Amino acid sequence: MRDKRMVLFGFVRGAAAIALALAVGAIFIFLSSDEPFTALRYLLIGPFVSYHGGVTAFNTQNFYQVLAAMIPTIFTGLAVCVMFSANQFNLAAESCVLVGGFVGSLIGIYVNMTTGWHAVVCVLVASVVCGLIMLIPSVLKVKLGASEMVTSLMLNFVLLYIVLHFLNYHFADRSKGATMTFPFLESAKIPSIVPGNSKLTWGFVIAIIVSLLVWIFMYRTRWGYAIRMIGINESFSLYSGMNVGGTIILSSVIGGLLSGMGGSLEVLGRYNTFVWRELPGYGWTGVTIAILAKNNPGAVPLAAFFLAYLNKGCQLMSTHSDVPSEMIDIIQAAIFLFFAAEQFLSGFRQKLVVKTTREELMRTESLTATEGE
Amino acid sequence: MEAVHELVVRMEKITKIYPNGIAANRDVDFSVRKGEIHALIGENGAGKSTLMKILFGLEQPTDGAIYLNDERVNLSSPLEAISKGIGMVHQHFMLVPSLTVAENIVLGMAPKKGGLFIDYKEAVRLTREYSEKYNLFVEPDARVADIAVGMKQKVEILKALVRGAHVLILDEPTAVLTTQETVELFQELKNLREQGFTIIFISHKLKEIKELTDRITIMRAGRSVGVYDTDSITEQEISRLMVGRDVVLKMDKPEAVPGEHVLRVEDLHYVNEWGKKMLDGVSFSVRQGEIVGIAGVEGNGQRELVDILFGLKLPDSGDATVDGQSLIGLPQAQIRTLGVSYVPEDRMTFGIAQTANIQENMVSDRYRQKKFNKGPLFKMKSLNDESDRLIVDYAVLCKSRAQEVGMLSGGNIQKVVVAREFSSDPILIIADQPTRGIDVGATELIRNRLVDLSRAGAAVLLVSADLNEVMELSDNLIVMYNGQIAGYFDDGQWDDLMMGEYMLGLKRQSDDEIRRACHA
Repeated sequence: MRDKRMVLFGFVRGAAAIALALAVGAIFIFLSSDEPFTALRYLLIGPFVSYHGGVTAFNTQNFYQVLAAMIPTIFTGLAVCVMFSANQFNLAAESCVLVGGFVGSLIGIYVNMTTGWHAVVCVLVASVVCGLIMLIPSVLKVKLGASEMVTSLMLNFVLLYIVLHFLNYHFADRSKGATMTFPFLESAKIPSIVPGNSKLTWGFVIAIIVSLLVWIFMYRTRWGYAIRMIGINESFSLYSGMNVGGTIILSSVIGGLLSGMGGSLEVLGRYNTFVWRELPGYGWTGVTIAILAKNNPGAVPLAAFFLAYLNKGCQLMSTHSDVPSEMIDIIQAAIFLFFAAEQFLSGFRQKLVVKTTREELMRTESLTATEGE
Repeated sequence: MEAVHELVVRMEKITKIYPNGIAANRDVDFSVRKGEIHALIGENGAGKSTLMKILFGLEQPTDGAIYLNDERVNLSSPLEAISKGIGMVHQHFMLVPSLTVAENIVLGMAPKKGGLFIDYKEAVRLTREYSEKYNLFVEPDARVADIAVGMKQKVEILKALVRGAHVLILDEPTAVLTTQETVELFQELKNLREQGFTIIFISHKLKEIKELTDRITIMRAGRSVGVYDTDSITEQEISRLMVGRDVVLKMDKPEAVPGEHVLRVEDLHYVNEWGKKMLDGVSFSVRQGEIVGIAGVEGNGQRELVDILFGLKLPDSGDATVDGQSLIGLPQAQIRTLGVSYVPEDRMTFGIAQTANIQENMVSDRYRQKKFNKGPLFKMKSLNDESDRLIVDYAVLCKSRAQEVGMLSGGNIQKVVVAREFSSDPILIIADQPTRGIDVGATELIRNRLVDLSRAGAAVLLVSADLNEVMELSDNLIVMYNGQIAGYFDDGQWDDLMMGEYMLGLKRQSDDEIRRACHA
């Protein structure tokens, strides 16, 4: 009985958070726009529907674009899920995407290989490099007790400037006006799976498969089990005889692998050359996604879809109405707040707990009373 | 006669249910007269701390009302409680070690110079003034990191007084003090009482309570079981009310046939972080097939002993071996592979992962074993079978193995812990307060299983503050007092009066008698 109530509570809480966040967004739209209903229509159904001379139809290209936008964020979402599950607030997924993209690009430019294998090698090397990078914050945490949140946050900037250094001084294509690398070899590019310009590549399929694999890893293997138990209660895990330090390092390395994979798939799928000059922001989105998905890898694609859809909706809203696209930041922040706030609706939860406990106490008391007679 | 006494604190029908569903207080009435020292006594987990946290605004009651000087109040934070004249001295001091005594005392309410800078001289003056007025000697310029525990406590009391407290809550104040410091503290508290302060004194120690306090409220299992004038009640009566000896669970256990030595503890010494000697030359052994019980008032070294045996603390000297192999310095994983299993006192912290499900909690010590894995993957069926078997074996009341463990009742949570710890074929079981705060049914099941396991050849070390439990279950019994073994009993002829005398330090066996605990 307790369980059912609590599961129901979880759903109600999630739905309420999203509804409230959208309501907050709507308030801002009504405040800032002269045509709030047009704006809202684009925000909510724009990504699926196209209007041409009064005729509404399903908008395939927009839809593909939404799916394509999910590729890097599914990976960072998964990475953050694995690390948060071990109770590691490691934020270096952000820079690992960048490094992964950069390393993948270099191999895609300078190494000659056959089509097919080339892209695979690019992505794998990028993943391994990022996995190794994650040893830095996690080993510091385990051996020295340094807060992984601080070290990983700092690491983001260290890695950004290292990449920029190599980009500027060693790998830039001097014939171009802007700083970018030479173009990728055709064999390294991730091919599209649909016609058109949507950039919906095989990366999407890989992202979905990897989500499934990560779910299996977390819920069906001994390592994932240890990661989750350590995240829930480190003292308990230690007492049960788990290798706490090693597992924390493992979770971080996997987080790095996944981020690097996402970064390289994104860069090799979307662009012709490496053009990132700043942190791409997918790591932060990954944090939002992991929180929305409650650290469940199976729910990551859904959360990524929700955010990508919202993003696209906001983009369309700002193109077709007078609402600025920054609105998405307000809505995202609101969702984040409502979900992350443990206390949200906690009064309601406490009432449920009290009610259930009272019922149980009464039941046990009546039981012992009858036993006593 | 009640009417002539002015009640400064009155708590009515206080009920507190924590978010994990534990009912810590149930319809508790509690009142304190002006100018008295009032003892609040009860076993750990009886709900005293929760009640005091509610009075100090740290926790909100689920139900019930609080009156201060007959005025209904709502204490939503310690800040509010302090402004209404309530002060609390926690067992573990809340002081900033790098600041001086005076700075700590005025922390958060520091006198200002020119509205911006702390007027340190004024802080020192204020400290001196209060220190002299209430006869609590402290050194205002000393750094808190450098002063002794006794003085830290005085700083805490002064902190509360400077903030205008007229009701002082002291949470087990003597637990960290030496005898001399305790004597001093009592003098100071009596002095404060004469000046009209009201003191609530939480303790386990009957002698102290008899010596110091005017009235006593006794708590058991989240309820108040009575209020007495200290003079009108004997220590025996208090202890009987505290532990509730009326429900005696009789154990019929077959005779123990001790075999080889399994656990040997040799001359353990341990001094805690406050410089107090917690273990002072403890030696004993536990053999196959016997239950050795450790009785004693809490805080006499049992906690430290168990922590050392399960690798949480390192002793200053001495050794502990299982089957000849030393445990000292080993990680828990290796201690477990030696065949030691452990029922922790704090089951919510060490025994379970609250938001994980029953199955996940039941296999935490064995999930790596071959029979549960196939290549990289779990064999879900084996895991499920294992947990289903344990759920049935230990009569865990739940809907399924997928139920979240934190949602079970206290007794069922403990059954999950015990099911895991008892089912790993241990050669040594360390059971620390295995039945504290759980229902009668679960208690009986756990006690029966302990006896069964010992009769099947396991060595069992049982540490329990429940005198009834150690006396019923143990084949041989050790009483600890002040970090030492005060008595060893192997004849089964013990009763609570006799135990009480050893537990409270009134009696001590000769060294030769105590040495028998090693079964050398």
